[in-house]
Amino acid sequence: MNNIYLPYLATIEDICEEAPDVKTFRLVFKDPKVRDTFDFKAGQFGLYSAFGAGESTFCIASSPTQKGYIQCTFRKGGRVTGALSDLGIGDTMGFRGPYGNWFPIDEWKGKNIVLIAGGIGLPPVRSVIWNCIDRRKDFGDITIVYGAKTVADLVYKNELAEWSKMSDIKLVQAVDPGGETPEWKGKVGFVPTVLEQAAPSPNNSVAVTCGPPIMIKFVLQALNKLGFSDEQVYTTLENKMKCGVGKCGRCNVGDIYICKEGPVYTAAEVKRMYNDF
Amino acid sequence: MSNKLLKKENLGKLIDALTSEGSIFVAPKMDAQQVVYAPVINAEEIVFDYIVPVNSFKKFLFPQTEPIAEFNINKEGVVLKGIEIEPKEIIIFGSRPCDAICCSSLRSVFNWDFKDEFYNRREDKAIVITVACTKADDSCFCTTVNLTPDSPNGSDILLRETTDGDYAVETITDKGKKFVERFANIFSLNSQVPSHKPIADVKPIAGIDVKKVKEYLKDTQHYENPLWAELARKCIGCGACTFACPTCHCFDIVDEGSAYQGKRIKNWDACQFEFFTLHTSGHNPRDTQYKRWRNRFMCKFNFYPNKFSSRGCVGCGRCIRVCPVRLDITEVMEKVSNQP
Repeated sequence: MNNIYLPYLATIEDICEEAPDVKTFRLVFKDPKVRDTFDFKAGQFGLYSAFGAGESTFCIASSPTQKGYIQCTFRKGGRVTGALSDLGIGDTMGFRGPYGNWFPIDEWKGKNIVLIAGGIGLPPVRSVIWNCIDRRKDFGDITIVYGAKTVADLVYKNELAEWSKMSDIKLVQAVDPGGETPEWKGKVGFVPTVLEQAAPSPNNSVAVTCGPPIMIKFVLQALNKLGFSDEQVYTTLENKMKCGVGKCGRCNVGDIYICKEGPVYTAAEVKRMYNDF
Repeated sequence: MSNKLLKKENLGKLIDALTSEGSIFVAPKMDAQQVVYAPVINAEEIVFDYIVPVNSFKKFLFPQTEPIAEFNINKEGVVLKGIEIEPKEIIIFGSRPCDAICCSSLRSVFNWDFKDEFYNRREDKAIVITVACTKADDSCFCTTVNLTPDSPNGSDILLRETTDGDYAVETITDKGKKFVERFANIFSLNSQVPSHKPIADVKPIAGIDVKKVKEYLKDTQHYENPLWAELARKCIGCGACTFACPTCHCFDIVDEGSAYQGKRIKNWDACQFEFFTLHTSGHNPRDTQYKRWRNRFMCKFNFYPNKFSSRGCVGCGRCIRVCPVRLDITEVMEKVSNQP
């Protein structure tokens, strides 16, 4: 019987402590057939199981160009993320997916890409970043603006260091005022302000943003100020999900089921939705 | 119209024949002084004088709680097994037209892209035998949502009570036809046209225009109308309406068991509950009760018809009967119909 709720089993191959309570798992599917054929696109999500605790929804944080494994980054917060956080290297967990739509990266060929993330909003954007880096010559300028509350809260610190060394990528890092350390060499300020100062050009560009709702709100205003239209800006909406396949009835924003028609939308599409966020 | 007749005195024979084959026979019966759809094993248990049972029969197709997988955690890892179901044939006898139509609504949700075999296998094995309504109460409003007390949609067989107290048989689907053929000895030929009891006279509620309600909800601006907070103010969020509703389909998925073994279970859930949409971060998109009530109303008159091309509200009136604060959906439909 085809059981749409049955997850794949995966082994945790590696764990990286990104920030306080934030971890990245590298998962390898147990079934070699799944391992060889599993494919997804940047922006898609999955449901991750800690057996005995339940399932939780996050994006796939690795890039589809990285084969043989997937990664997820999550903050320990509730029952399931708490149980996931207790798992160690070699432990088994579950994965269902990939679900939902994706960032239309193929349509962005030849364009400049501006990626803006805040805090734990970087994982879905990271999938796009690596996807773009791995196909670097398909795109124009790549600008990354990333900020967190404090230096400790920045995720993917190793990768930030790696991106900052890449000559064909412009990386602007920031922490909120008061979150800096004496050694901090990046900007001090909120992401929307830092973005305005970095002033990426809207010409032949697309912008991708993810972060806390309040950050997204002001990032959209900043982008508009810089001349970006709402059609040029993409974001990914997260909502509580249980089934991930359009049946359990809780991720809808008005008549839009985020799990099926989302989670990726342009800012123009978001503005046309019912105010149900 | 078929010329078959089902005599009430033959119901016992029908139940015996079916239950001896392992089938489940569900009919209206008394439980705690209320009429409910429940399995019966003899005809004496069946209640014939009822308007609509307090529950809908959706739980026989979409159980209130249903395991979907089992897991064992040991030193080597996790052993995971999906649950396989092979449902028995189930006969829903004495359904009402408003309930019968819920099958197509639930099927649309459980199949609009991914196919939920738990639902499909159960519904495939169900035979819905509806009895047209000869009585209605103040909460019935099927005609307001364009159904009738004798609509055939969703039923496999539609029965009409005759003045002799028997049933005139109309087969609606192939499934229904095969069922009548299978029990040819029980469904007798009728030599003369029986006289039917009159069908219940349910008048459409004046002032409600379902088309207008649907149009109104399509406009995202109307979502902001202070009307919603006002209309839903008395809702206490108990969720009774959703559990009684034949088309409400929301569910939760939870793990139950010990640290070493357990089951993953699909349980009915309700959009009326505060935790339903609560994020781990503490953010809740529907943080007040009126937003949750508005969502349910939207689901019935916008999502179901527009997204799933099926029926959200069937006019059974259960949500009105079970509501502890008398929040009447038809009053809201009327208010919305009369919005400029």
